[in-house]
Amino acid sequence: MASPAQAPLITRHAPIDRAFHWVTALAVLLLLASAFLPILGLKFSWVPLHWMTGVVLCLAVVFHTIRSTFFRRLKCMLIFPRHLREFAQRKKAAKYTLPQKLMHAVLGFAVLIATVTGAIMLARVDTPLWQRNPYLLEASTWGVIYVLHGASALAILTLSMWHIYFSLLPEKRAYLRAMIGGQMTREEAAEYHDPARWSGQRKDDPKENGQ
Amino acid sequence: MDLFRITHNAWGQQTLEGISWDLLPLAFGLGLAFIIGHLIWRALRKRH
Repeated sequence: MASPAQAPLITRHAPIDRAFHWVTALAVLLLLASAFLPILGLKFSWVPLHWMTGVVLCLAVVFHTIRSTFFRRLKCMLIFPRHLREFAQRKKAAKYTLPQKLMHAVLGFAVLIATVTGAIMLARVDTPLWQRNPYLLEASTWGVIYVLHGASALAILTLSMWHIYFSLLPEKRAYLRAMIGGQMTREEAAEYHDPARWSGQRKDDPKENGQ
Repeated sequence: MDLFRITHNAWGQQTLEGISWDLLPLAFGLGLAFIIGHLIWRALRKRH
């Protein structure tokens, strides 16, 4: 049997991270559809679908924030000036390339704004779990919350289009396969990633920091 | 094109209602324009 360093396939995403990604993706698509289709003229009872999916997204975001902050290496996703220099010098990345980190940072920020404002807006919806309280905030404050929620939703629409487009490009297809099955080949990884900085065998390589 | 949706309350005061949905085609168009631009750039890069 091949040693971890020689195995043809390397693990990029753990099952729990893949489950989080696809739950989030489905939730975001349902939220975008239930928000924008009625505006475009497709009338249906969108509020129950929107708030229930919103609660699922909130739980997913809380889970991911706790897991990535306390149980994973948060630094793997942060962007430092040296990453910009390395990208300009066409150096191979660690686990995540600069464009991947940028997409995560911008899309993550937009989803966070939409989630926090959406969680506050839940106070205005009657559900089996709570009674609506439209007087929780002043009218002007609600206006700001609604503007932030709408602006972040529009940003998520644009960024999601780009995210889906890049995932479907033939040269980036390995990342999509890794997000489905968890693994990619060493050859595929070596195209954009430096094996010395990301071996894909975190458990077997304590020095591997993926930064 | 408006940036915000403004309404009036019972006292006739202007209140902010949310972002203008006129921006929805703009957000979609921006997404599509970048994708088309990138596809063109990608095709030209492959040719050279």
